[in-house]
Amino acid sequence: MKKIGIYPGCCFQGADEHNYEITIRFLENMGVDGILLERAACCGGGVIDESNKLVVYGLNARNIALAEKEGVDLYTPCNTCYMIIAKTKLALDSNPDLKEQVNKILADEGLEYKGEAKIYHTLNLLRDFIGMDNYKKALKREISGVKVAPYYGCHVLAPNEVAVDDPDNPTLLKEILEPLGVEVIDEYQNQNTCCGYHATYTDNAQKERLAIKPLDGAKEAGADIVATPCPLCHKAMDGKEEPILQVTQLINVACGMTPEETAINLNKTEVKLSI
Amino acid sequence: MKNIKYTAKIKRYNPEKKESYWQDFEVEVEDTLTVLELLMYIKDKIDSTLTFRSFCRSAICGSCAMLINGRSGLACKIQAKDKIRNGVVKIEPLQHLPVIKDLVVDIDPAIEKLKKVKPYLEPDPKKVPDNLKSESLVSPEEFAMYDKQTDCILCMACYGQCNALEGDAKYLGPLQLTKAFRFIMDSRDGMDVEERINLVENSGIYECVQCQMCLAACPKDIKPAEDILGLRRIAKDVGKDNSATRRAKFWFQTVYETGQIDKYNLPVASLEEDGEVIKENMEKEFKERGLKEENFGPQPFDGIQDLQNFIKKVQKEVK
Repeated sequence: MKKIGIYPGCCFQGADEHNYEITIRFLENMGVDGILLERAACCGGGVIDESNKLVVYGLNARNIALAEKEGVDLYTPCNTCYMIIAKTKLALDSNPDLKEQVNKILADEGLEYKGEAKIYHTLNLLRDFIGMDNYKKALKREISGVKVAPYYGCHVLAPNEVAVDDPDNPTLLKEILEPLGVEVIDEYQNQNTCCGYHATYTDNAQKERLAIKPLDGAKEAGADIVATPCPLCHKAMDGKEEPILQVTQLINVACGMTPEETAINLNKTEVKLSI
Repeated sequence: MKNIKYTAKIKRYNPEKKESYWQDFEVEVEDTLTVLELLMYIKDKIDSTLTFRSFCRSAICGSCAMLINGRSGLACKIQAKDKIRNGVVKIEPLQHLPVIKDLVVDIDPAIEKLKKVKPYLEPDPKKVPDNLKSESLVSPEEFAMYDKQTDCILCMACYGQCNALEGDAKYLGPLQLTKAFRFIMDSRDGMDVEERINLVENSGIYECVQCQMCLAACPKDIKPAEDILGLRRIAKDVGKDNSATRRAKFWFQTVYETGQIDKYNLPVASLEEDGEVIKENMEKEFKERGLKEENFGPQPFDGIQDLQNFIKKVQKEVK
């Protein structure tokens, strides 16, 4: 069985632990053994930079080193964790001096950042680690009669050097949704507008103004549900008229799980799936 | 070099009729054209009324920024053939600026916002001599603090793709904030740092959603979103007390204590009274879900001291 290290960001702990359950079930359904990187710490969330950017490099070098110690690649379903960890990897791999300084401190914990582990997000995990054919084979039933609008979220498409798909014309999410038996609404107004999550705790009104835009666009285009890979986008956008789910929740249902078993019952906006 | 066929799908705007519409141009052209050369070809051979702004053709004047396949960039710097998707290259004017005609936007509103950050040096008399005989020296280390940011050509590519502007038209904008950061970091600048922060505090640094689209847009590889984090750090260091600086302190503290951010107590820590409602709603929801109070936030993992020692050492030793 293939193994992968699960990086537990803030949206997989505390009251959000159901997101971890969704993730581990998703991996089980795909025939992958998920190893929780227990001593991993916050990726920085774009906020620790406001105290010390070098700490962000340090924390994520340590997070990757924890995966490397287990001999596995690192996987996180969160767009922001993915982007920040992938950016750190680029910084460390292109700056031997920084890498050496960080490794000197990591040695205290018996860790070393080698730069060998790959960084995966759900989208590129399905394409490059699991393989689209294996993914399709793992699906057991169709979720029919539902129109789904794919919503990527920003941090899997920007900045360009960490994008998991062609930023000009991403198709990966559509390719992941179609085998589920749903009808994909590929184009809609404001489909690339940010969910605003990262303004939640500083300017909540700004977040609210943004979060509604892609949802309204999807509704206008006839979508029943919006599907995002990102738990933060999900958190920011859930609770409005148009429902939003994580794509891994839909995959788990197509693999035979009930909506309750993959936390769909926790959605603030009710979702009806005909299965 | 060979000829290729594709469709240039261009969003046009007729100012007399105040009407915008998409128009498809079928072209068969050399595969070496830049997007700007493609537009010139269409203007020359197909439709002379097509209007766009350009000058240097060398990615230095910053005139030809536009959206190509929905992403901001300079038309003169991008190869058209690299942008063909399903036989189509989609070209639109920048967002968040009034369209004058077709692909030409009015950049004045963004320039007016730029003026608000005082985008010029206020010479520090201790650093900048008052005569022409002696030099104003800047060390390579000092210049490295804002070297990249001086490459900005005011093309507005970042502005035309900014999500914070999508949420609030009054937001200053990425290039404006990068400029503010650049002058704070300039060792020759004499303006009080707090005064410069005051210029960007309202409708400024805290509305940025860190979407990273400005990094993807900039033709000079400047990273405005990262400069905005730098401005927030400076705001915290000069003692500003607001939702963002409180968030930054609380975030760091709880990551240090538990390894993870405490999102249950964060709203009150950062938004104060406004956060109470958010916390009450969460408490209600969590209790309905049958969660125990100790599971509302993160718990430190075994060996948290190792992480704390690591963070302390990184702060002290990594340069």
